[in-house]
Amino acid sequence: MNDYQYDHQTVKGFIVSSIFWGVVGILIGLWISVQMWKPEFNVPPFFTFGRLRVVHTNSLAFGLGIGAIFGISYYIAMRLTKRPLVFPKLARFHLYLFNAAIALAALSLFAGMNQTLEYAELEWPLDIGVVILWVIFAVNIFGTIIKRKDEQMYISLWYIIATVIAVAVLYIVNNLAVPASLTKSYSLFAGVNSANVQWWYGHNAVGFVFTTPILAMFYYFLPKSTGLPIYSHRLSIIAFWSLVFAYLWTGAHHLVYTPLPDWIQTLAIVFTLFLIAPSWGSVINGYYTVGTDWNKMQTHYLTKFFILGITFYGLQTVQGPTQAIRVVSQLIHYTDWVPGHVHMGTMGWVTMTTAASIYYIIPKIYGTEIYSIKAANVHFWLVLIGQLMFSITMWITGIQQGALWKATNADGSLKYTFMEGLVKNYPFWQLRTVAGVIFTVGMLFFIYNISMTIRKGKALAASRA
Amino acid sequence: MAGELYRRPIMFAVVATVVILIGTIVTMFFPMFTEGMHPRLENLKPYTALQLAGKDIYMREGCNNCHTQTVRPLRTEVMRYGEYSKAGEFAFDRPFLWGSKRTGPDLARIGGKYPDAWHYKHFENPQAFFAQSNMPKYGWLQSGKLDPAAMEAHMKVNGFPYTQEEMADLPSKTELDALVAYMQVIGTGVKKAVPVTVAAMAEEKNPLAGDPNAHERGEKVYEKECEACHGDDGRGGIGPRLTDDIWLNKEGDISDGRIYEIIANGTANGMPPYAGQLDKDKIWSLVSYIRHEQHKTK
Amino acid sequence: MTEDFDSTNIEDFEAKDTARKLPIGWLILFWGLILWGIYYFVMYSPSISGWTQEKAYHESVKK
Ligand code: HEC
Ligand code: HEC
Ligand code: HEM
Ligand code: HEM
Repeated sequence: MNDYQYDHQTVKGFIVSSIFWGVVGILIGLWISVQMWKPEFNVPPFFTFGRLRVVHTNSLAFGLGIGAIFGISYYIAMRLTKRPLVFPKLARFHLYLFNAAIALAALSLFAGMNQTLEYAELEWPLDIGVVILWVIFAVNIFGTIIKRKDEQMYISLWYIIATVIAVAVLYIVNNLAVPASLTKSYSLFAGVNSANVQWWYGHNAVGFVFTTPILAMFYYFLPKSTGLPIYSHRLSIIAFWSLVFAYLWTGAHHLVYTPLPDWIQTLAIVFTLFLIAPSWGSVINGYYTVGTDWNKMQTHYLTKFFILGITFYGLQTVQGPTQAIRVVSQLIHYTDWVPGHVHMGTMGWVTMTTAASIYYIIPKIYGTEIYSIKAANVHFWLVLIGQLMFSITMWITGIQQGALWKATNADGSLKYTFMEGLVKNYPFWQLRTVAGVIFTVGMLFFIYNISMTIRKGKALAASRA
Repeated sequence: MAGELYRRPIMFAVVATVVILIGTIVTMFFPMFTEGMHPRLENLKPYTALQLAGKDIYMREGCNNCHTQTVRPLRTEVMRYGEYSKAGEFAFDRPFLWGSKRTGPDLARIGGKYPDAWHYKHFENPQAFFAQSNMPKYGWLQSGKLDPAAMEAHMKVNGFPYTQEEMADLPSKTELDALVAYMQVIGTGVKKAVPVTVAAMAEEKNPLAGDPNAHERGEKVYEKECEACHGDDGRGGIGPRLTDDIWLNKEGDISDGRIYEIIANGTANGMPPYAGQLDKDKIWSLVSYIRHEQHKTK
Repeated sequence: MTEDFDSTNIEDFEAKDTARKLPIGWLILFWGLILWGIYYFVMYSPSISGWTQEKAYHESVKK
């Protein structure tokens, strides 16, 4: 077996694992979405909403998201440096450790071992495991880049490097804690200060897990799959630096109107609004790239995945900054508007772009074609409909909730009790479950398509041998 | 642009690190060393072992996925939940438990809002109070035991003072006891402000006295808001009987205006205030209803 | 066997397009947001404008 083939097995391993954890997370997503309108679906002690929701977010952000990021980044790094990974065995170990860590993470969260820091729920022994995972990744990525045959580093590599650095700093700082036992610790930070540290982390987890590595994929696979060069290299440069600079200032937009000092909130809001510019730099770059030949949207099935993906990214990066403004935050903070925003990013941008990258990689690895373009198109439309329905219903609920909470009678007293407001969410929450089912069916088409492609590839390899 | 940078990965990584650290230092690291980030209210007390055990359970069960613990300084929010949150209230929370989603109501001022009995009944079956609540049932916590050795370790890590008697007492308590004890202490570091009463009570007599339908309207509100505590037709339960002549443990009738006041402002012993949630007409209709029931039983 | 089986070279793409000017609309956005940021920071920083969320609250309940 040659080096590339060995490494590609590792890449494939990450992709298959990430899909597996994705399925787990999505099914739990459906489950909690039902719990929200039918509390009978809570099964204590392990399967109540409070515990399942974190299993949902962790298995998707860390299992699906980071699994795909590890695998696809390895692939991109090899292609762009024109050499195999420096430490192929380490990469294979990385894959096994990754799966062990996610499995333990899920079990520990079911068991309620939870630091209650959003997106950093795992208790300290697992945190150490996560840090080891990133160190292995960093060693392999940097090693491969340093030993590269090619001189210039392409944009995708910049984003991958920035991801590794930022995640290292963020993850370690936010998880600093004093253990009280193997399964319980207390954060090093307290009160207002811990809130500030957590959301500095939390927002940049979005920034450096759901944004920069996905942009790395976008910048690599869009030109590769369409054969069209990126519109402007200069725009990518400015967008890159201003994005990684501004992101770190914005965490406090999750804490608007809390007791956090006003100046930190204000500074965060300022940089949050500014983020529209670098984000849209990438969006515009994507549009203009395909803009030289819009026919590609019809003639090449992957183009529409990338273009819709970046469109959702564009919508996210207008929506997100808007949410940070004080008057808007007053209305939508704490409401279902936020899950609407979240899932447009995760289901629309992250999952769409990742899936398209996988459609590109898997046939490439086996030297074959995708099993069925038709199935990929069905996947596309179902996921698109499911995601739009999810976000739109949640936006409506969110605005309604916010408005009901604020509504007053002529004499100034509140118009609605909490329960009167809650009851109005139920029809929308039910629709959200339907949206989730549509999305899930779409993902099943994707999984079927990929597994058939792998089977086809294997048969081909066997016949060649 | 400096093209050289994109050929030299180590230099690139160093520059990227610096760029990433600037915002980090200004908004996260530097503030850590300012006083504004470590305030503590004077009368804020560390958690007792039982309360901390309850807080641990709150974290374990992920209650923060549905409940926030911070009231924003916004008019309607203060009316709904009580005094807005102060930075100094959270000094003993490691980490903070503000949450980010209000599927259920905010809990920053839950301490003292209800009697213990209410919480036990509510955790056991939230739907018994609000048929359409989506809060999971937590009665099963009653079979959970507290482990004094573990709690001692937890208290030590937090640096909270405790006594051996306190620890010795823990095995006789359940996880549910702990959770309720925690509920009752949340937000009590701040003095309970009188709820933002809408227009002070103007009338001493019920303005709806002549309205023959008022008590029926009142009954509707009563069934939704009060029955869970005061029982069918005001016959009593967690809250006292409303149809007798004993008011706040004192014998003898009181005026309509005084009843109005009790409903509007609540009491320190577990009657929640309703001024922020019910308008004047609704509260007076409740008074009419209570009077109507009183007459029926006499 | 270390051949690269991708036929197109991404680096060639880069070389071709570096000359392009930045879109004017985007430049306006970029600088506009910076200007707005300065304005907002001045308006809502307690140490500059005196605005605080607590004061704003107390004003909103006075009426
Ligand atoms: C699925 C979301 C959900 C979860 C999880 C949840 N709750 Fe609730 N909670 C609600 C809703 C909705 C209400 C309002 C209706 C009611 O009182 O049942 C509520 C009400 C409450 C109240 C009464 C608040 C008031 O002011 O009337 C308390 C106290 C409470 N919950 C505590 C908890 C605790 C403690 C936990 C964790 C063990 C928890 N809840 C978990 C949704 C949830
Ligand atoms: C959480 C449970 C609870 C709810 C809900 C509740 N109450 Fe009460 N109520 C109490 C308690 C406990 C007392 C006793 C307070 C005291 O002794 O200070 C009380 C006292 C009263 C009293 C004084 C009666 C007496 O005999 O002492 C009145 C009147 C009253 N409530 C009316 C209402 C009305 C009207 C509602 C609905 C809008 C309501 N309550 C909702 C718990 C509740
Ligand atoms: C079938 C598809 C899905 C369904 C039905 C679903 C459902 C849900 C539900 C019900 C919640 C809780 C919302 C609340 O508390 O109000 C949630 C939260 C969340 N989900 Fe999903 N989800 C799905 C797919 C995904 C995917 C693919 C991702 C990520 C890649 C994701 C990431 C998240 C995150 C990060 C949150 C937390 C949001 C927050 O804290 O505001 N979900 N999801
Ligand atoms: C410039 C880009 C973005 C900005 C400025 C932004 C801004 C925000 C803001 C202000 C909130 C808090 C809303 C509230 O609670 O009131 C939020 C929540 C969130 N956003 Fe974004 N957003 C951006 C892009 C994205 C993208 C691309 C994703 C991808 C998935 C995403 C995922 C999330 C998640 C998961 C949360 C929920 C956090 C939580 O409460 O648990 N955001 N965002």
